[in-house]
Amino acid sequence: MMNNTSAHAVKERPVTTLDQKPSRAEGRKDPWSQLLEKVGKHQDRQAYHALFEHFGPQIKYYAMANGMSSHAEELVQEVFVSIWRRSCLYDWRKAAASTWIFTIARNQRIDMLRKMKRTSAEIQVETEDLWQIPGDNEDEPVTSLHRLMSERRVRDSLRHLPEEQITVIAKVYMEQKSHQMVADELDIPLGTVKSRVRLALNKLKVILQDQNV
Amino acid sequence: MTRHHPDSLMLMEYSAGNLSEPHALCIRLHLDKCAHCRSRVDALDSLGAVMMEQQSQVSVSESTFDSILARIDSEPAPQPTPRTPPRSPLSKLLGDDLDGLPWKRQLRDVSVLDITDRFPGQKDQVILQKLCAGGKAPAHTHRGEETTLVLQGAFSDNRGVFNQWDFVVLGQEDEHKPVALEGDDCITLSVLSAPLKLTGTFGRLLNPFIR
Ligand SMILES: [Zn+2]
Repeated sequence: MMNNTSAHAVKERPVTTLDQKPSRAEGRKDPWSQLLEKVGKHQDRQAYHALFEHFGPQIKYYAMANGMSSHAEELVQEVFVSIWRRSCLYDWRKAAASTWIFTIARNQRIDMLRKMKRTSAEIQVETEDLWQIPGDNEDEPVTSLHRLMSERRVRDSLRHLPEEQITVIAKVYMEQKSHQMVADELDIPLGTVKSRVRLALNKLKVILQDQNV
Repeated sequence: MTRHHPDSLMLMEYSAGNLSEPHALCIRLHLDKCAHCRSRVDALDSLGAVMMEQQSQVSVSESTFDSILARIDSEPAPQPTPRTPPRSPLSKLLGDDLDGLPWKRQLRDVSVLDITDRFPGQKDQVILQKLCAGGKAPAHTHRGEETTLVLQGAFSDNRGVFNQWDFVVLGQEDEHKPVALEGDDCITLSVLSAPLKLTGTFGRLLNPFIR
């Protein structure tokens, strides 16, 4: 089901081209966040179209990588309709546009799969009660520097990660494989997968303080 | 004050959207009360965004954009309405009176309520357990992995004290004998990937799978 796309997800990862994309600067709005804000404040369709051109292919690929090829354009539609509806709630201080859009794509994917499997009467817990979009919680204080910097930091440090670590993370995020499934697929022990992820997260500095219980 | 958090690997599975619904609920309820983990998840969501960005070339047709425009044109313009305070996913699921739920008493100190049927189409067993204030649960181990979130009160075991919104994952090797702190009944939400294993005499009674 996902053979072709998953091979791509692993091999053709142009890590170096990350530099060319607009990167989120500390305390400053990146271009995508500015565009998203225009959509939210003025229903700016030109800005909306620019977001579509940039993120549409990413979302389509995201759908294909996790085995939803026949629903890929449908997912793009759902995500963009949701972006339009929610854009008035978007706050660049709470998340970069790309992070915000990633969480919407993730939630729409989950929602679409849930609705394919079940009738709506069977769904007692809404997807968004389970997976939150950043900034949805209004009580959340604005903002920590950490939050603003995180995407840039991730982007910068990703370049220095060994390929084997990136491969594992890509399978978790893009192909919706659990750590166990990644271990099975790569035919390596679960412990190895976990240690690769931990090493990567340490380098990505996304762990503030990991407290294992 | 919350002190027991999910580990980064589990938060990553959450951020990637790979957890089962009951596991995601445990994480979500913890996140609602834990700024520390929220910022960890924010960073992981950023990682997701950067991963999504590295796609190989695919194109989306302009006609898709036309369909999107047709859909948004058929809806009223989005309004930045003042939102009512969101209702917690927990109250939506269980109401606001946890004590008033149809608990099944299993031991002097222990009541259980199985809510697996609220999550149709998935394999995990989801149970609420109530240990009355100061009460003791019999010693037991876990055949599979048990993810627990404290919803009310607090309990202690050989690992320490678990307060409201604390998060703990117990595996096969973990035998424990939880004791509820005085003052309030301790209510936990547990997601079990496999049935509990019995060690003590009363284990059989506690175990909701063997009746
Ligand atoms: Zn936490």
